[in-house]
Amino acid sequence: MTLAAQYVANGLASGGLYALVALGIVLLYRSSRVLNFAHGDLCTLGAFLALSALQAGWPYAASVAAGLVGAGLASAGFYQVLVRPVREGTVLGLVITTLGFALFLGGFMAWVWGTDTKPFPSPMSDVRVYRLGGVVISELTAGSLAAALVLVALLSLLVQRTPLGLAMRAVAQNPVAAQLLGVPARRVLAATWALAGMLGASAGVLLAPVLLLDPFMMLDPFLKGFAAAVLGGMDSLPGAVVGGLTLGVAESLFAGYVSVKFKATLSFLVIVAVLLLKPEGLFGRPFERRV
Amino acid sequence: MRTFVGICLVLSLALSVGVVAQERGVTAEEVVIGTSMPLSGPAAYWGAVGRGMEAYARFLNDQGGIHGRRLRVVVRDDSYLPPRAAANVRELVERVGVFAIVGLIGTANAFAVRDYIVRNEVVWVTPTADASMWYGFRDKKYLFVTYPSYVEEAKVLVDYAARQLGAKTVAVFYQNDLYGQKGLLGAKQGAVRSRVRVVAQVPYEVTQADVSSEAVRLRESRADAVLLYATPRHGALIVREMAKIGYTPKLLSSFTLGDPIMFALAGEAWNGVISTAFFPLPGTGDNRVDQALAVLTRIDPALRQNPFNALAGWAFMEPFVEGLRRAGRDLTKQRFVQAMESIRNWDGEVIRGVTFGPDRRQGINRVFLTRAEGGRYTRLTDWVTYSVGF
Repeated sequence: MTLAAQYVANGLASGGLYALVALGIVLLYRSSRVLNFAHGDLCTLGAFLALSALQAGWPYAASVAAGLVGAGLASAGFYQVLVRPVREGTVLGLVITTLGFALFLGGFMAWVWGTDTKPFPSPMSDVRVYRLGGVVISELTAGSLAAALVLVALLSLLVQRTPLGLAMRAVAQNPVAAQLLGVPARRVLAATWALAGMLGASAGVLLAPVLLLDPFMMLDPFLKGFAAAVLGGMDSLPGAVVGGLTLGVAESLFAGYVSVKFKATLSFLVIVAVLLLKPEGLFGRPFERRV
Repeated sequence: MRTFVGICLVLSLALSVGVVAQERGVTAEEVVIGTSMPLSGPAAYWGAVGRGMEAYARFLNDQGGIHGRRLRVVVRDDSYLPPRAAANVRELVERVGVFAIVGLIGTANAFAVRDYIVRNEVVWVTPTADASMWYGFRDKKYLFVTYPSYVEEAKVLVDYAARQLGAKTVAVFYQNDLYGQKGLLGAKQGAVRSRVRVVAQVPYEVTQADVSSEAVRLRESRADAVLLYATPRHGALIVREMAKIGYTPKLLSSFTLGDPIMFALAGEAWNGVISTAFFPLPGTGDNRVDQALAVLTRIDPALRQNPFNALAGWAFMEPFVEGLRRAGRDLTKQRFVQAMESIRNWDGEVIRGVTFGPDRRQGINRVFLTRAEGGRYTRLTDWVTYSVGF
C-alpha cells in the first residue's frame, strides 16, 4: 500500500509539471487554433534566461521574473513576426512554422549556453524530504507541485474574472464578431501568446532544478504535456490540469506494476485511445459545425 | 578527328591514373577526417568530445601539422539518432571525401554505420562504441579500436562489487539502447562469474525526463549494489532520486560518467561512486594529461566545463595522429594501415599502452577503477586487463 502511495506521489509530482506545460499549449490552441510546437523550447528559454540573471548576481525572484518576461516577449514576438502573417495559411503551414521556430530556438540556446547539462539552483532543497507514513516526497517536488497548482489557479482567475480574460474568450469564440464589437483582437492574441510564453517559462523554471537544464530538456515533458492536453481536451484549461495529473499518475503506476520498459510508450497509447474513444478529450466540447 | 579522340582518350586515362594515385581526403596541404556525434538532442552533452578533437587538431596545426599537412576535422551532428549518423557518414565519405572516420559516438550509431564503412573500405579509428561489437567480425583491415568494451567493463565492476564491496546482489540501471544493453549483458556475465545475483534490470529511454518510478523499482529490488549505464543527466537524476527515497546502495558506473560535472549535477549523492577509466584522469598526478588539458582549455576555454570529454576527444584522435606520423609524408591508405599495425605498447599524451598488429585491432584491453569523493576522482586500483577479443 505504501508502495502504491509512493508511486502515486511521484506521479502527481511529474503530473503537475505536465499540467503546466499542457496549460500553455491549450491556452494558445483555444484562442488562436495554433498548435505551438515551440512551446517546449520557450519553457527552456525562460529557464536559461533566469539562470543567466542568477549568474549575473540578480536575486532569485528578479531572475525568475526576467526569465518569464523574456520568454513572454519571445513568444509574443514570434506571433507578431511569423505566426500572424501565415495565419491565413493552412493548419499544416502553421504547424511547420512553429516547428521551425522550435528548431531555431534549440539551436540558438545551444549556441549561447552550450549543450552541457547544468544544475539549476532552487530556493527549495531536493535533499530535504517529508515523510507521510512510508511515502517520501522532497521539498522541491512538493514545492513545484504547489507552485504549479497556484499558477493554475491564477490563470483561471485571469481568464474568468478579468477584462483581458473576457476579451481572450471572446476572440477565441469568434474573432470577427469580437473585432466588430471593438475588441482589439490582434493585441489580445499577442497578449495570449505572451501569457503562454510566461506560463511556459514558469514551467521551465520549476522543471529545471528537478530535471537539470540543457537546451533539449523539454523534449520529453513537452510530449507528455501534449498528451495531457489531448487527454484533457484541447480547449479546456481544467482539462489540461486533470489530464496532466492523470497521465503522471498513470505513467508512474504503469512503470511500477506493469512494465518500466514501456513507460515512455504509455503517453502515445493515451493519445491514440483518446482519439479513438473520445476525440474531444475528457473535458473538451464535442466538435460540431452547423451548415 | 581520329587524332583528337585519341588525344582525349590518352588525356582522360592520364587524368584517371592521377586521380587513383591521389588518396581521398589527402592533399599536399591537408588531411581531412570526419566524425559524427550528438551536438543536439538528449545526448548533446557528449558533443564536447568533438570540440576536444577540433582543439587538438588546432594545437597540432599550430605546430605545423603532421608532415607538413594540416588536419581538418569535419564534425556532423546526428542528435544521437542512428539514421542520421548513417546519413552523415555517407556524406562525409561521398561528398566531403574524408581520409578517415575518427571516433563516432554511440554504440547504436556505430552499429548502424558499420557495414557501410567496412564495405567502402574507409579507415575508421576508435569508434566510440562498445568494443565487443567487433568480436568475431571479419573485414577489419581498416579498423583500429582504442575504446573499451562495456561488456568487459561491467564484468570488472561487478567483480569489484562482489569482492571488495561485499555485494551479494546487484541491479542495473541502463539506457535502453545498445550502450546500456551491452552494460547489462556484461553485468549478467560478470554476475555468473562472481557468484552474485542480478535482482533488477531497470531501463530508461534516452529522451525520458523523469526517473522517479525507476528509483522506486530499484529500491524495491533491495540490491546491494547498483550499476549505472546512463547519460550524465540520467545518472545524476537516478542517484538523486534513490538518495531521496532513502535507498543508498553501493554505486558503480561506466567511465562515460567519469566527468567531474557529475558532482555539480548529482551533488552529495555522487560521493563514493566507483567508476572505471581508460586513460589517466586529470588532477590525479599525471603531468602529461594535465598539460594536455591545459592545451585544450587554452584553445577552447569552454572545454573547462567538461575536462573528461575534452580529453576523450584527444584520446580518440591520438592513435590516428600517431599512424599519420609513422606513415610518413607519402600518405596512402595502405601505408597508414601498415603504420598503425607497427604500433606496439605505445604511450600517447593521454591514451596509454596501445598495441596493434596485423591480426590485432583491439588497441587497448584494460581499465582501472576510481572512486568519486569531494569533487575529485581518485585512482583505486592498478590496470585491470581483460583478454584481447579481436
